Amino acid sequence: MAAPIDYDAFRREVTEFALTRCPPEIRAAVATYRKLSRKIWQPWQEILHEHGWGAPSWPKEYGGTGWDHQQRHIFDEVMAECDCPPQYHHGLRHIGPVIIEFGTPEQKRRFLPGILSGKDWWCQGYSEPGAGSDLASLRTSARREGEEYIVEGQKTWTSHAHESDWMYTLVRTSKGAKKQQGITMLLIPLDSPGLTIRPIRTIDGWHHVNEVFLDSVRVPVANRIGEEGQGWTYGKFLLERERLGGANVAPALKNLERTRALVARELAGESNRLKREMLEHRLLLAEAALLGARALGKEAVAAVMEGKPLGVLPSVLKLSTSVTHQHVAEVALDAVGERLAPRFRRIDAGGPNAEAPGIEWVQNYMYMRVRTIYGGSSEVQKNVIAKQLFGA
Amino acid sequence: MPFLATPLVGGDAFEMAQRIGLDADRELATLADPVDQAACLRRYWDRIAELGWMATAVPEELGGAGGSLADLAALAGGAGRGGLALPVVLSCAVVPMLLAITGEDRRTILADAATGQARICVIFPGAACDEAMQSPKLTVSDGHLTLDGAVAGIETPPDPTHLLLVCGETDPVLLLIPADARGVACTRYQRIDGRLAGDWTFGKVTVESDWILARGAAVAWRAEEACDLGALLTCIEGVSAMGAIIEQTIGYLSERVQFGVPLSSFQALRHRVAEMYVEYENLRGLVSQALRAASASDRLPWRDIAFAKLRLGEAGRFVAQEAIQCHGGMGMTEALPAIRLARRVMMAEFEYGDRTFHANRLLVDARQDDEAA
Repeated sequence: MAAPIDYDAFRREVTEFALTRCPPEIRAAVATYRKLSRKIWQPWQEILHEHGWGAPSWPKEYGGTGWDHQQRHIFDEVMAECDCPPQYHHGLRHIGPVIIEFGTPEQKRRFLPGILSGKDWWCQGYSEPGAGSDLASLRTSARREGEEYIVEGQKTWTSHAHESDWMYTLVRTSKGAKKQQGITMLLIPLDSPGLTIRPIRTIDGWHHVNEVFLDSVRVPVANRIGEEGQGWTYGKFLLERERLGGANVAPALKNLERTRALVARELAGESNRLKREMLEHRLLLAEAALLGARALGKEAVAAVMEGKPLGVLPSVLKLSTSVTHQHVAEVALDAVGERLAPRFRRIDAGGPNAEAPGIEWVQNYMYMRVRTIYGGSSEVQKNVIAKQLFGA
Repeated sequence: MPFLATPLVGGDAFEMAQRIGLDADRELATLADPVDQAACLRRYWDRIAELGWMATAVPEELGGAGGSLADLAALAGGAGRGGLALPVVLSCAVVPMLLAITGEDRRTILADAATGQARICVIFPGAACDEAMQSPKLTVSDGHLTLDGAVAGIETPPDPTHLLLVCGETDPVLLLIPADARGVACTRYQRIDGRLAGDWTFGKVTVESDWILARGAAVAWRAEEACDLGALLTCIEGVSAMGAIIEQTIGYLSERVQFGVPLSSFQALRHRVAEMYVEYENLRGLVSQALRAASASDRLPWRDIAFAKLRLGEAGRFVAQEAIQCHGGMGMTEALPAIRLARRVMMAEFEYGDRTFHANRLLVDARQDDEAA
């Protein structure tokens, strides 16, 4: 039997690594709320990979760390506490595990090393203009011609497509009795002829999501995951694996800590006392809610470690933390808003005085609205919880 | 299977406390006369005294059960779920903790409290008083200590025999005052949540030397610990009540038919219940953690408790209000247990420090940390 894991020692080891090996400019970018892009993520992934920590959630045989859930949870917490970027998730946490579970030996050889090293960058082709929360309504189609699929349609909200190499994509290959049937998962290179990426202008003035148009894009059958028509199963597998994602409340607590420092700095002095104290009180309420969520997160990790079902706990965590994240961002906006909101403009517009000190707090407030929309909107989460609570 | 709340600390004591709470709640609901209700509460007090509830936290050598915090949590949780309108937290935990400060020679009062013979109210510093009143104050005249002042809305066991009063800022004193002492007057009544309370006045009360149980910094410290213990157990009581409120609200919405369909088919109402559940779970996690931390240490983790009590204010009120809304007109009546529990949760916020009290503690502490840094 293996020796019991000393989690405290593990935490110290990870902390030491984070503080010494993550480049200061990367940590500074995280600490100052810069929006993360491949330019920041990739070098960090390379460092982690070199150390053997490229894939905390993968089994050892595929180059992962083989850590248990508790270790992974600690790793994620420490990363947030030390201002290290969270690892780019589309390869490591989403498609990687699907390839490990359902991919052919050839697909594993072809794709896993690039994800581990950070050489290949992935994005997710799920949502469509007519299929958001109701993903199974997707209409992008693929018809088979010999050893190729011809893909026609449009994907949207495709985060980081403009800096990615590959898109794992759900397409419709047939119409079944249920709309979840007849969906197939394809891996599509983003430089394929017929594929066009267009930026979506989001309210936060930052380019992170795209529309992806697929006009007779030819995809080799060898790029299909598993069986034709079984894509929904693989997509669900992917989401199931992500159910512990919300258990890590450390980024939200870190965010709160930064906002508290912002309030103290921005509203220093007697003349700002009342406003400062009002905001401090709101932060305290947010902290209380986050501490509750953190306690639930620990319960979730413990449940998974003991092989117990999580039930609706992930939905509860998502709802709790997403709204509180937004509250904290609102406090930050209220701290700097009078000074900075009137000067906020599109980041990519550039121009004179575009980077006023602290402007990222305004941007962040706008960006944070997405928390209750993506990854299953609050309303979808409430449907899930209610179904469980009412027993129907 | 519809939702069924899991107790923070379950077991026989929890089940018993819940059963007694439900019995008492049912019986009280049939009584209209306050005198009958007070008599009914006294009967239930005697019953729980006989069952040894008040001896739970008293050390064995003093005739108690030498129980742990988990034992108290089981009682508070069960009583909370059953809606027992007796001061369980006060009498089983707060009073014994305050009395534990006394010297060897005064231990009979602890034994009497453990059997329920002594029925003791507690007046902490900062207890409510109206503008026209003066807070209890000790003065020295002719070599005697004299107590004057008044407090209002003090939770009380049935037929109180004594008062524990923490008084004085610079040199705090813990007094045990017989309820029938000369100059002490009490107006007793039943609160809206069915619990007994009293307004006390002290008019030139001569303090007998044997009323003084302790004095000095230890009193202040002990009072704070006792208040924190009260806050923690009130949170446990509240969480437990909230779980029952959600269960019963789900039951009501599933049964009640309007527009030809059960109310539970309306998404607007389902989402309200989901939100109640999220708040409940969040608070349960926090309280559960505070309880674990408290059980693992000699000192109570005041920050954990302050955060939990702050959240009881937020989450408890939310769940109570939403339950009332979900019940429609019935939510404005006393007829249903869920609504009586909701009202109880709203009252619990103001016991052992409300949300602003605990927020203030945490903010002051954070400021001191900043200044020290």
